[in-house]
Amino acid sequence: MSETNKQPDDTWDLIIEPPDKLLDFRFGELYRYRDLLGLLIRRDFVSAYKQTVVGPLWFFIQPVMTTMVWSFVFGNIAKLGTDRVPQMLFYFSGTMLWGFFSHCLTKCANTFNSNAQLFRKIYFPRLAVPISYVAMEGLKVLIQFSILVFFFFYYVVQGAVMHPNLWLLAIPVFLFQLGALGVGCGVIVSSLTTKYRDLKQLLSFGMQLWMYCSAVIIPLSEFVDRGYGWLIYANPVIPVVAMFRYAMTGEGPQPIGAWLVSLILSVVILLLGIIIFNRNERTFIDVI
Amino acid sequence: MSTVVSVEGISKQYRYGVINNMSLARDMRSWWATKRGKEDPNVRVGEESNVGRRDRFWALRNVNFEVKKGERLAIMGVNGAGKSTLLKIMSRVTAPTEGRIRIRGRVASLLEVGTGFHPELTGRENIYLNGAILGMKKNEITAKFDEIVEFSGLPEFIDTPVKRFSSGMFVRLAFAVAANLDSDILIADEVIAVGDAKFQAKCLNKMRDISEKEGRTVLFVSHNAHAVSALCNRGIILDHGIEQYDAADIHEVVHRYNTLMENQ
Repeated sequence: MSETNKQPDDTWDLIIEPPDKLLDFRFGELYRYRDLLGLLIRRDFVSAYKQTVVGPLWFFIQPVMTTMVWSFVFGNIAKLGTDRVPQMLFYFSGTMLWGFFSHCLTKCANTFNSNAQLFRKIYFPRLAVPISYVAMEGLKVLIQFSILVFFFFYYVVQGAVMHPNLWLLAIPVFLFQLGALGVGCGVIVSSLTTKYRDLKQLLSFGMQLWMYCSAVIIPLSEFVDRGYGWLIYANPVIPVVAMFRYAMTGEGPQPIGAWLVSLILSVVILLLGIIIFNRNERTFIDVI
Repeated sequence: MSTVVSVEGISKQYRYGVINNMSLARDMRSWWATKRGKEDPNVRVGEESNVGRRDRFWALRNVNFEVKKGERLAIMGVNGAGKSTLLKIMSRVTAPTEGRIRIRGRVASLLEVGTGFHPELTGRENIYLNGAILGMKKNEITAKFDEIVEFSGLPEFIDTPVKRFSSGMFVRLAFAVAANLDSDILIADEVIAVGDAKFQAKCLNKMRDISEKEGRTVLFVSHNAHAVSALCNRGIILDHGIEQYDAADIHEVVHRYNTLMENQ
């Protein structure tokens, strides 16, 4: 659908035509709907914590509990190392980054299915929905970041020697990268799940498997020692998590090459996702 | 009067039955079999095989008409005539297979009352959310807010989550948002069928008002002959996706529609 007035004699505001163009982005339109974007974020935020006692505190409780469980199970019982990164910092950064990535992915993957009722009845730029999801997740990560900073100073006071370094400046890039990868994969899956519901089943345990190969819980050195070092290149999440931990503490491996590969891959997947999403958004309603 | 909507040769094709095999593995088996020139193993009993499958039909076939500014056009037809498909294409919920529609001005479509209402949010929050979904900006909604609340007649419930609303209250609030939009063209699909007679009359009046006083265009789908004659000043009858009749004499249109119904 094009909103441009290419026909010379035309003063029409909107021209509706069969979808045929592969690259037909309407970012201007998305901008006009920016208020909707804000309200969608607000809707998700407000409705998630209505009728809960502690409300947005759940943002903190969940990752802190996960960190405690992981420290106990994987750190104290299974005695897995943390590549010299202080335990709480290691697990908390892991659950925070993985949570951000996986929520972006799974929420975007359900875009069409969970909004079918809405999409069936009314038009607005569909991309507003995944964007609002990511913005919401980004907000969550920023809030959780404060806990990470708290843990950091806790260890400093305890006398731990850490070497935060200039890579800290790359944290926005790390988050962008995970977000791009999550949204890209998510919208690709969402476009496919409208046709093939199987992928929905695959998604939940697929994400679990992905987490275990992402060096979120198991330190990267264990992968390398056991001959799975190639995973650093195969799994774009690994280098981001590793670099993030290195930036904070100056400890652990620093796979810079793999990180660059991952950055490029993330951008490519994001673009691919948007193209597929665009292709799909106009006719999916006939399929779903 | 200038033309604000121009529908040119619009067609929409759908497929009968299940859209696909609904599973990746089966789709791949079908594809592999077809590729080797064998019969698709997933063809259902009674269906013709790969070659010459007649599983498509036209929900709309080459529909042409123009709407002038300020017209209140009724689109009538029995179930399955293609009315809703036409409105869906116009409001960009789905894309046409062929043809083109050109529109001047802003469209507000009301295919179902309360679309996008979130049960956990209050009436106030939902007015903003729904307005934004319908394409309004925040400040435009704020400017219209009091008018919307007044039209809905629910000022005392405006800060209650809408999940506690009765269905009548829900409809009133939702229609109030849509009717008070600053749109040039209002597309409404059988929306006022819900709600009591008094509210229905209020809605019809509102729609005629905005058309007569502000020169807005209304496209209205309904089976209700009474509502159509009260509101519209032109009518189109669709039958099996083909445009059958188009006239400015709304009583004649309603009469033809009734005849069509009887001959079904």
